[in-house]
Formats: sequence, C-alpha cells, structure tokens
Amino acid sequence: MSNTSSLPLFRTAWKRSTHVLRFALLLGIITLAISSQRTSRAENVDLSTVPSRSTVQLTIYNSEDVTLVRETRNVTFKKGSNPLQFSWANTLIDSTSVELNFLTQSDKLEVLDTTFPHAKPQMLYWNVESEFDGEAEIQIAYFTSGITWSADYLCIADNNEQEMSLEGFVRVFNNSGEEYENAQVRLVVGTINLVEKIAQLANMSLSEVAGMDRDELSKAKKDVLADAMAAPMAMAGGMGGGAIAEDAPKEIIKEGLSEYFIYTIEGTETIQNGWSKRMRSLEGTSISFDVEYRYRPQEYGEQLVKLYLLKNDVASKLGTTPLPNGTVRIFRDNGRDGLSYLTQQDIKYIPIGDRIELNLGSDPEVLHELVKLRTYRSDLILQIHGTNEFRKIGGDGTFKEENASLVGWDDHVILVERIRNFSGKAIQLEIRRTLPGHVVFKSSLNPKLHDFQTIELRATVPTGMKSELLSEIIHKQGTSTKQNNVTLEKFEVKR
Amino acid sequence: MCLSIPFRKTLFSVAIFGGTLAGTLGCPSDAWARVKLITLPVRERVEIQLDNAGATLVEEERVVPLVKGENQVDFSWANTQIDPNTIVFRVVAPVGEKAIDAKVLSVSYPPNEAALIWSVGSSDSGSVRVRVSYLLGNLNKSFNYRAVASKDEKQLTLSQYMRLQNFANESFGSTGVWAGFGKRFLKPVGLNETKEMLMEKYENVPIRKTYTCNPAEFDYLDRAQNKLRVPMHYVLKNNKENHLGLAPLQYGKVRIFIDGGAEGSSAFLGEDWGKFTPMDDEMKLYLGVAQDIVVKRTIDKNENRRVGGNVFDQEIVLKYEIENFKDTPVTLDIVENLRFIRNEVRGDTGRDVEWELGKDTTFEGGPDKEKSTFEQVVFHVTLPPRAEDGKADKKEHKLNVILKNEW
Repeated sequence: MSNTSSLPLFRTAWKRSTHVLRFALLLGIITLAISSQRTSRAENVDLSTVPSRSTVQLTIYNSEDVTLVRETRNVTFKKGSNPLQFSWANTLIDSTSVELNFLTQSDKLEVLDTTFPHAKPQMLYWNVESEFDGEAEIQIAYFTSGITWSADYLCIADNNEQEMSLEGFVRVFNNSGEEYENAQVRLVVGTINLVEKIAQLANMSLSEVAGMDRDELSKAKKDVLADAMAAPMAMAGGMGGGAIAEDAPKEIIKEGLSEYFIYTIEGTETIQNGWSKRMRSLEGTSISFDVEYRYRPQEYGEQLVKLYLLKNDVASKLGTTPLPNGTVRIFRDNGRDGLSYLTQQDIKYIPIGDRIELNLGSDPEVLHELVKLRTYRSDLILQIHGTNEFRKIGGDGTFKEENASLVGWDDHVILVERIRNFSGKAIQLEIRRTLPGHVVFKSSLNPKLHDFQTIELRATVPTGMKSELLSEIIHKQGTSTKQNNVTLEKFEVKR
Repeated sequence: MCLSIPFRKTLFSVAIFGGTLAGTLGCPSDAWARVKLITLPVRERVEIQLDNAGATLVEEERVVPLVKGENQVDFSWANTQIDPNTIVFRVVAPVGEKAIDAKVLSVSYPPNEAALIWSVGSSDSGSVRVRVSYLLGNLNKSFNYRAVASKDEKQLTLSQYMRLQNFANESFGSTGVWAGFGKRFLKPVGLNETKEMLMEKYENVPIRKTYTCNPAEFDYLDRAQNKLRVPMHYVLKNNKENHLGLAPLQYGKVRIFIDGGAEGSSAFLGEDWGKFTPMDDEMKLYLGVAQDIVVKRTIDKNENRRVGGNVFDQEIVLKYEIENFKDTPVTLDIVENLRFIRNEVRGDTGRDVEWELGKDTTFEGGPDKEKSTFEQVVFHVTLPPRAEDGKADKKEHKLNVILKNEW
C-alpha cells in the first residue's frame, strides 16, 4: 500500500518513482522536452524536489463515476523557467482534466506550455515562467474515477406500526488506486452530464483523446468543474479536522447548489485504497407514518401490497435534505425484544417535502381476492351482409335473419373484491385498476378516476371482517366502441 | 502488530487502548498496526428470527467493553453467507449503573475480506450491551405436518412441526428460535444440524371429507365408459370454530394417518402438500381416488338456437349416473367448468362464457353460491349407502345449461 501523502520534501530521482501520484519540481541540468520528438528527457533528470500536498479535497458524484480532486501544494519558484512534473502512475486520473492554478503570486506566474511525453502516458510537464524568486501556493485539479459513494437507509418501525426511526448513511468507496489522506470529502447528490466516462479517459493515451470531439469533451468537463468549484472550499482552516469530539459522530453539512445538493463531511477523512467507509448522514426518530394497502397491478403486480407511507418534511422530523437514491432496509420491532426483517427496496431520489413509499409486499394477514361472479352480453348489434344496415337483437322486434353478423355488443362483468383482514386493526385500502377501451364502471363505492382509463376505489376494512366490494364493468365492443375512456356510474350492483 | 486469535466462523472483537484490529484483518497498513490488546466479547444471547418467508435474521447480543472516546469494534466472518449490507449494530443499554452514551461513528469495510469495523464513540469507559443483527443464508426453515384422523374420519389431530436446517457453517449455543407465530424455542443449533420442533398440536379438528368430480380438473377415470375420476379429500378450515385459526398454516408436507382404534393400530393413509392456508381458508388434502363411487357423465343434448345473424344460444344437457358402493352415505361435489363444456361442444372462442341454468337441471338446492363463479358451477349431491345385498342405488342427475350469445 502506498503512502504518497507523506512524500519527502526533497527527493533524488535517479529512477522512476514507485509512488503512485507524484509531483516534482525538476532541478539541475534539464533539457525541457517541448517538442514531442524529444522524448528521452526523463532519463536526463538528475534531481527533483517533491513538494508534498498541503490540502486535498474530494468532490464525489454518485450519478457518474467521477470525482473532482483539488489539491494544494507550496512550491518554491526561481525567476525564469521552472519545469514541473506531475505523474499519476497506476491511478484512474483523466489526463485531459489536469489543471494547474496559482493561488498566490498568480500575477507573477504563468504556465507557458504543457507537455504530455509520448513515452510516459501518465505524466505531464508544465513549463512555468516566474517573475520572482520565492514560494507560491498552487492548486492542481483533476478528475479521477474509482471513488464513488452511495446512500442507504435503515428503518425500524415500532411494533404498533405508528412510528419509526429512519437513519440515512453515505458510504464512500475508494478504488481509485490512490490514497487521499486527510481529505475533505464532499458528496454531490444529483445527476450530471458527461460525454465520456472518466474511467475510459483514464486508460486512454493522449493521442486517442485527441481524436475525440474536443468541444464536447471540454464543455462537459468545464460544466462539472464550474459547478463543483462554485461550492465554498472550506479548506482554509486546514485539513486537520478541527476540534471534533472523539465520541460524537461527524456532522454532515448539507447545502443546495444549483440542481445539486452537496454533503460535506465534517473534518477530514482518510479512506485507504480498496476500503470503503460508511457514515450516518441523517437520523430521525419517532417519525409517524401511515400504513396503506394497495392493489395496483401495473405498479406492484397482481397482489395487494402493504406500504409504509411517510413524508420527507419537517412535520415528519425529516425534511432537512433530499434523500439520495439508495437501498432502504426495513425492520419492525417484533414485540419480543427483537427485530423482524421486513424487506429491502431501492428508492429513487426524494426531494424535500416529497412522499416516501416503502413497499413491504403482500401481507399474509390481509387477503385479497378478485372474483368474477357473472359475465353476460347485451346490446348485440348485427350488420346485414352487403349493406350498411344495422339491427339490434331484441331491439325493434326479434331479428333472425341468417345473412348477418354480430358487429357490436357490450360485455358485462360483475366483480367482487373480497378482502379479509386478520391484521388486528382496521386497514386503509386503495384499489386502482386500469380498464383499457370504452368502459362504463358501475359501483356504489364512490369510485374516482385516477386517469382517463384507471378507476380508484378507497375503503376502510375493519379487523376480523370480510369486505366484499361489488362492481360492474361494461366493455363496449366492436362498433359499439365510441370512446377510449372510462365513464363512472354510481350504481348499486347486485350479485 | 498482529495478535493470533483462536479460529471461529464469526468473530467479534474490540480493540482497546484506541488501537485497531490489524491482527484479524491482516494488517492492511502500518497505520493499522497499533493494536495492543483485543477483547473477544462472547455471545450472551442469540435469537434466530424466521418470520420472513425469504430471509433469516440472526440477532446476537454481546457485552462490549468500551473506553472513553473512539473504539474500534471488529466483526468478521468466514465461510458463512452473512449479507454485510444488512448488519445492524445497536447499543441496547449500558451494563451497570453508569450511564454511557455510545454511538456508531462510522463503519469501515476492508477490501477482499468478510469483515467490517465499527468506530464506536463512547462518552465514558465501561461496558455496554450491544445487539448485532444480520441476514444469514443457508439457515432455513420448512414446515411439515402429521395428521391422525379418527376412525370415523370426522376429526383429526394435526401436529405442525418446524424443521430448521443449519447449513450456515456457524453453530449457535442456546438460541431463541421464533417462526413469527406460535412458540419461541430455546435450543442449541449445531453445525450442519437439522432440528425439528413441534410448533402446535391442534386437537379435534373437524374434517370435511369430500368426493369431487370435476372433468376440467380431474379428467375421466375411464374415458371410453364416460367414468369420471372421483378424488377424495380431507378439507380443514383454518378458523377458531374448527379448532385451528391461530395463524396461517404454512406450506408443507402433510402425512395422514388413521386411528385404527386399538393401541398401535394406526394406518398410513397417504400424504399431500398442504398449501399455504391463510386464516379462514380451507386446506384441501388429497388422499387418493375413490373407487367405490362411480360417476358416468354423458352429454345428452346439444342444440343450437339462432338468436339473430351469426349469434346462437346453445342448450346442453349433461347427464350423471351416480352409484355409491360404500356402506356409508357420502356427499359428492359435482363441479363443472362452463368454458370446458363449451370447448367440448363448440371449441374455444377465447371469450368469457355467458350462461344460465335451464329448467331441466335436477340438482336439489341449486348451485353452491359461495363456491360457484362466473365460469364454474358447484353442486352437492347426497348419496345413500349401498343396500344390504351390496346393490348400489343408481341416482341420475341432469345439468341443463344454456350458453348464451355465442358466435
């Protein structure tokens, strides 16, 4: 395992460094290889200084495998030309993204040119022209892949299913090949646009990158950089983490920025290469929630499912931050000094104020059956062959002409939704059913239209009771079809 | 510094003096090599929660000594299917009178190892009781039943067993086992051990013994002679009135015996898979084909009547000749699927069947409204026992159906 962040200040570079990420100020007799033909200059290096990192900040995006790294170093320049070497062997840094900025003495320092040597793909040289002798603080920014983060949640409902605790976590994974010791970590919640994957760029030579659409590439990166840079870089206080109590969890500061939300982990973190670390990002207790049973075949399949419903708002003791997409694991106090594992589900990004719906699946204590009781047809319309003449069967006298075919009719279905509730308490039930075609829906249960072809019924089913919700569906068929929607009719349906 | 640890499948340890667990985690870096001492808190209590149909939750309680400040608590496992994402660490209570506020600060996951390290902040030095919960694979449950029917087949005793199979590569000492209903057991669960536990014994459960003919479901016994297959079932209703109804009956094999009266004279009647039976539902156990009840089914009438154009009503009469050669009266359920009937006389049109009963139907009391649906009709027929001379009284019934508006 490397220990790059404790690089010695001075280093003789007789051979190629074994360090992963290396920054060196080249001294001595150096022939700077400006032109690509002169690729043998690395072998001419006699001596280099290796200024160590002062600070490092990671801005990690969860929608893409991209992390913006900004590190600062103090470098002593001499008047005139100063060659700087930056190399990143065995890491996943995108070479096209590396930028050098001068945080101090910027009016006296200028990058004259940048060289990417052909023989050493994970290395570059900056030729810095200095107007003074002395120290300046520089910042190097670049994209790397391999550092990711994800969110997950832990819900524990009480035994009565009235309140729950909800903890949110963020987990940072470092597979970048580099260790960023004592880094300030910022996590970006939101979806960014990238035209190329950083991991791909990291593994491409510069000549391959040159063949790409530079405008698009550059624009995408600049957009990301601009947004990330816009956030305050709270590094001025040093990266030591400040006075954080040893026995208290680190606070995660949340702030909105453009279309994103940024979580900044208090103090600094060291996540070694290959490791991951999970920290609590939010904690809510005694959050009241509702239990609802839903039958929505298009959403949940052909089953009645049980849901926990709560809101990401202040009234629910949440609402301080949107909830990034992640896995929710749901437990319930089993009333016997233990937990019951209910389920786990992935949730999408939940904005502040929005609803959180946790689907627990079917409940063996609440049974739902949909039974067709009767089907019949009415309003049969015949078309006499070879004519445009239509006759209704049983309408204006019995019509028994053989030379005619059925072209329109109504299909009637008498349905019962049979619900048995053994859960020990009354349940709220919602049934949503999509009925394509020209449909008349009859029920005495005050049905509503969810959309033009979806009916919605609501009912309360007391415990220990069997409820039977009767309805009739009339499908207009053939030439009787005049619409593609559902019409509701309040009607006492008989078995 | 690495400290050797006795080999165990799962390992729970606390590095004290502010150190970390290099020993058990293979010394990932120099920074992790500061461990001075590791304590190994033992399991004080283990609960295996089997109430989820698809997952087994293990909860174990340990007393963990903490020092004031940050502590590293390590949890590692080998050759067991612990889902690391489901591991929950909860501080239950301090041990002793000293109030200690302990909280997980972060969790670190080392690469390529089945382990994690909790960083736990403690407000004071002392021991706390913690509970670690996780989903564990290969620790599965199943259910089976033993039913002993009385000689007159009016009732039975149903014993429900839970079988716990521990192939999780981890042994548990005295462990609470709970299926989500019924008793909680406190038993050791050894490595690769299967344990069967009596969950409940239901006495005097009334049996409804049914004989059913349903050509759509059970077909013919002898098609050439139009003889229907008549399976026999025991039907149990899962409710309190029938001395069940404590919980849904879980899916499992049911072995059925009959009590012969004398000591040790019970006989094995057969076995069947009992389906998951929610409260108030019926568990139907198939015992075999009744050979002594003969039902011949023929289509006596098949007649089209034009309604108009190409639309017809079709009148069908099914005739059943039924003989009971048993020496006891029985009730026969005759089930007809209207779509099946239409397929016999018209072929399948794919449309729902519109039908009505005709006046020639002879079944007394009409169809069973609870069991009949839009395309299935159920009748019950009571059959007298055979006569003294062995002759069975042949009963004849007719089902007159009019399939309406077919084309």
